[in-house]
Amino acid sequence: MSSGMRFQGWGTGLTLLAVWLLLIAATGLYRPAFLSHQTVLAVSFTMSIVGVLAIGQGLVAISGGFLDLSQPAGLIASSLVAVRLSEAGMPFAVVIVGAILTGMAWGGLNALIIVGAKLNPVIVTLATNFIGLAALFFAFQLAEVPLGSTIHQFGRAKLLGLPAIWWPMLALVLVVGFLIPRTRYGRRAIAVGGNRMAARARGISLKKTRFAIFIAAGGFVGFAGVLFCATSGPFNPSSANTLQLNVIAGVILAGISLAGGRGNFWLLLLSVGFLSTIPTALVFFGLSSDTQSIFQGLILISAVAFDGYRARRGIP
Amino acid sequence: MTDATVPRSAPAPAPYIVPHHPVRELLTGPVASIAFTVIAVVAVGLIWVGPRFLSFGNLGIMGAFLIVPLVVGACAGFALLSGVVDLSIGSMVGFSSALFALLLTLNWDPWSAGAVTLLACLAFGAINAIAIVGFGAEAIAATLGMLVALRGITWVLLGPQGAIFSFNPGLSDLVNQTLFGLPLFFLVAIVLTVIAAVVVTKTRFGRHVQAVGGDDRAATRAGIPVRKIRVAALLLASLGAGIGGIVFTAQLGSAARATGFGLEFQVYAALMIGGYSILRGGVGNPVGGALGLLAVAGVSNILDLKAISPYYVNIIVGLLLLAAVLLDRMRGGDAYE
Amino acid sequence: MLRISKRAIATMALAVPLAFGIAWSANAAEKFKLGMAVGGNTCCDWMKSQGDVARALAEKNGWDYIELSNNNDPAVALKNAKIFAQEGVNAMIQFNGQPASNPAISQAMTAAKVPVVTYDIADPGMYFVGIDNLAAGIAGGEQLGKVIKEKWACNPDLVVSAEGAAAGIVNEWRTGGMRTGLKKICPDIPAEKWVSFESQGDAAVGLPAARDLLAANPDAKKMAVVGLNDGGVLSLINAAEQLGRADEVIGWGQDGAFITGDNVNPHLAGSVFYFLEGYAVYAIRDVIAPIAAGQIPPLKAAADNPASRVEPCPVSAEQAKAVPVMAERVAKLLAAPAGTTAYSLFCPNK
Repeated sequence: MSSGMRFQGWGTGLTLLAVWLLLIAATGLYRPAFLSHQTVLAVSFTMSIVGVLAIGQGLVAISGGFLDLSQPAGLIASSLVAVRLSEAGMPFAVVIVGAILTGMAWGGLNALIIVGAKLNPVIVTLATNFIGLAALFFAFQLAEVPLGSTIHQFGRAKLLGLPAIWWPMLALVLVVGFLIPRTRYGRRAIAVGGNRMAARARGISLKKTRFAIFIAAGGFVGFAGVLFCATSGPFNPSSANTLQLNVIAGVILAGISLAGGRGNFWLLLLSVGFLSTIPTALVFFGLSSDTQSIFQGLILISAVAFDGYRARRGIP
Repeated sequence: MTDATVPRSAPAPAPYIVPHHPVRELLTGPVASIAFTVIAVVAVGLIWVGPRFLSFGNLGIMGAFLIVPLVVGACAGFALLSGVVDLSIGSMVGFSSALFALLLTLNWDPWSAGAVTLLACLAFGAINAIAIVGFGAEAIAATLGMLVALRGITWVLLGPQGAIFSFNPGLSDLVNQTLFGLPLFFLVAIVLTVIAAVVVTKTRFGRHVQAVGGDDRAATRAGIPVRKIRVAALLLASLGAGIGGIVFTAQLGSAARATGFGLEFQVYAALMIGGYSILRGGVGNPVGGALGLLAVAGVSNILDLKAISPYYVNIIVGLLLLAAVLLDRMRGGDAYE
Repeated sequence: MLRISKRAIATMALAVPLAFGIAWSANAAEKFKLGMAVGGNTCCDWMKSQGDVARALAEKNGWDYIELSNNNDPAVALKNAKIFAQEGVNAMIQFNGQPASNPAISQAMTAAKVPVVTYDIADPGMYFVGIDNLAAGIAGGEQLGKVIKEKWACNPDLVVSAEGAAAGIVNEWRTGGMRTGLKKICPDIPAEKWVSFESQGDAAVGLPAARDLLAANPDAKKMAVVGLNDGGVLSLINAAEQLGRADEVIGWGQDGAFITGDNVNPHLAGSVFYFLEGYAVYAIRDVIAPIAAGQIPPLKAAADNPASRVEPCPVSAEQAKAVPVMAERVAKLLAAPAGTTAYSLFCPNK
């Protein structure tokens, strides 16, 4: 079983890659214009923010925290801080650090409630998202980074033909995916997610691990906030709500178990890339954006059903 | 199989003792926290708002608003109890509302329209069941997929205007009927809740559902048909959502993109306030869930009647949710570590 | 022991307030009471401002005022209407962003004999106060048409519509109206150049769909953008900036949300102000105040025969520079003499 699980990630990865390539090939055959730099740009812009958020969501999931439903509130709070800092003329580095710290503080607040009161993260983050978004509406109704500021230019810049905001996402996924199975911190997170009692018996502090996970996950949400406000144009407290489902879907498709203990962060590149390609491809097929949800939903159901079937049969 | 929704160390459920004193049971049993919360809400309402808080008119307003969440919650509660959360109920309500409204505008009579709508909802519930029970998919993930898919299907049904107007005075009068000064269908929903509670606590099916949710392996060893129970619970959840959508269309005279949108969060927040757990089966009681819905509705009604800035409502609902799970924890509820 | 004390507490908790409540039984003075249901969608600052202005005006008139939020939810909107009826309001104003529940609200309020003013989206049983959305759409489309005619001789590569289907008929009026207005000036743009995407009326939310649309039309350079609001139009403009294709994008929005202040996107050539924040001036001047004075005005419920008409104010980005931002507009509006509309105060293009 355990050897099966070790290889399971690669089975998922190959499947994802195959399905993604199939989608690209089918759309490209139907409309050759699909295979263009513009498509690559459209998909990679969409990937960037979802990808960074998915790292945070994946960290929470792999450590047995199921879901962080408060990502929209954390993202908007971080974006707001980034906007205010850039309005104050702060250097870009300060803007980034400010947003990341805001996200970490948000994650820390969640962790404080979750660890302090020993409450389930799904419920806590559901509640803090309600509270956070409502409170944010008192703080602002509309915000936008100053046009022409560094962060605004960053949201439109390209590097090697791809969006500037895409590269940090790539780097973060690669680094996190490399470190999680290879560092003590990462292995502890997986151990706690896999079997917390056994982890505790091995001397791992559940409290410390949870705090570290939620603060780190919040840091990714904070950085996603930078990418978000750099690209979004004017946003309001509810502008990030639609990201939530895509992020969770990306984590699930990547095979990162919501119950914890298993998952390969590198696969996020495939799952998020695939999910971000679907809406673009549908436009080329001339289908309305309403149908996009139908496809994404059905793909998600089939994927998890397939995953469940494989896990049950022990197929890698 | 659905290890995802059941912690591996889940304890076997305590044998359920049939209460001899239902009233005392309400104050000391599994729904005690939520019963006290409701009492506190009522007390605050009476002190702050005055006796009109409990007037028939006001209860009627809350009642009419609660019909859909009560029905949806009572049915979805069975899925929670059996250890599989169904996140697609809000979208299912929206889908049901849209399909029912569409059929009405095509001049179907309400009964056949309702029947077809419910069958369609059951079909989607069956897909959930096949994915989760048949293939062993994680319930949260699979029903999240269904949530997204149904939202898309609903939007296609609603067309470019994003709404179907199907106002039907007969249907509206039917759903707005009152009995003893309260909406008839609110009373029906309460009766359904009580029936659900009796089913959960007094019947073999109910005990099986709890056992399956508490520890599915132990239940299997005890010879309980785990898969059948979970399929039934998921179908029941989709049936409840289907009924909810039909009631919405009748009440509002229309279906729209916002109908049912996010209802799953409202309902599950209230169910958790009422003692259910969305990650662990075997705990919770339909009466507790209904009281959870009443508590939230009561709080937002107090805010309405006191004309508190409406933007505070979500903050208070969030705090209430935290307070309720904390209270439940302090009473010996499940600790998350 | 514990059980008994719990029950005792419960009994007391119920009994004490009941006694208090009965002692305090209602003896409120018979003031005119106005109920206002705001849209409650956190998308938009003007939804909150609509309530703030109505509250201030009600207080100036010495009325009682209750505000509830429809929370962008049709079921909540219906519940709110019933609460207003129960609380004995003499009139109700609503902005119902989810107009699907209007027939049910209309029925409930007719039964309760409470007159209802509805903003922008007509219902046969409610006083219509607001913009003629179709006329506003056409006016904006004509302005954009003039720009397109002058710059591109009516020959754009693409005309993009930023739709927001959730707004239902309002979207069809505004976005469709803009297309109609544009066609009036430039009648010969071929059918295949008209494309649409779902912007959800939110600059940030609509962004991915806007990028997809651009990718699917890779050769279009000269793009004219219309939409149901400034946010939707901006999502296409921002997407074009990100895909390196904004050089020749000209957008014209609706609602004027993003054309004031010092952060106006240079590709947004203009918009149409409705001054949504100030609708209460019209509603109170033409419907509520007469009702309060006992002279109930005739029910005018249609957008083309309204109880009070809000004039659309199409402005170019240049003209919009003279218009203050919303917070400042609200303050000036409330300082102005009773009945002065935001249109008369701020529209540079009357």
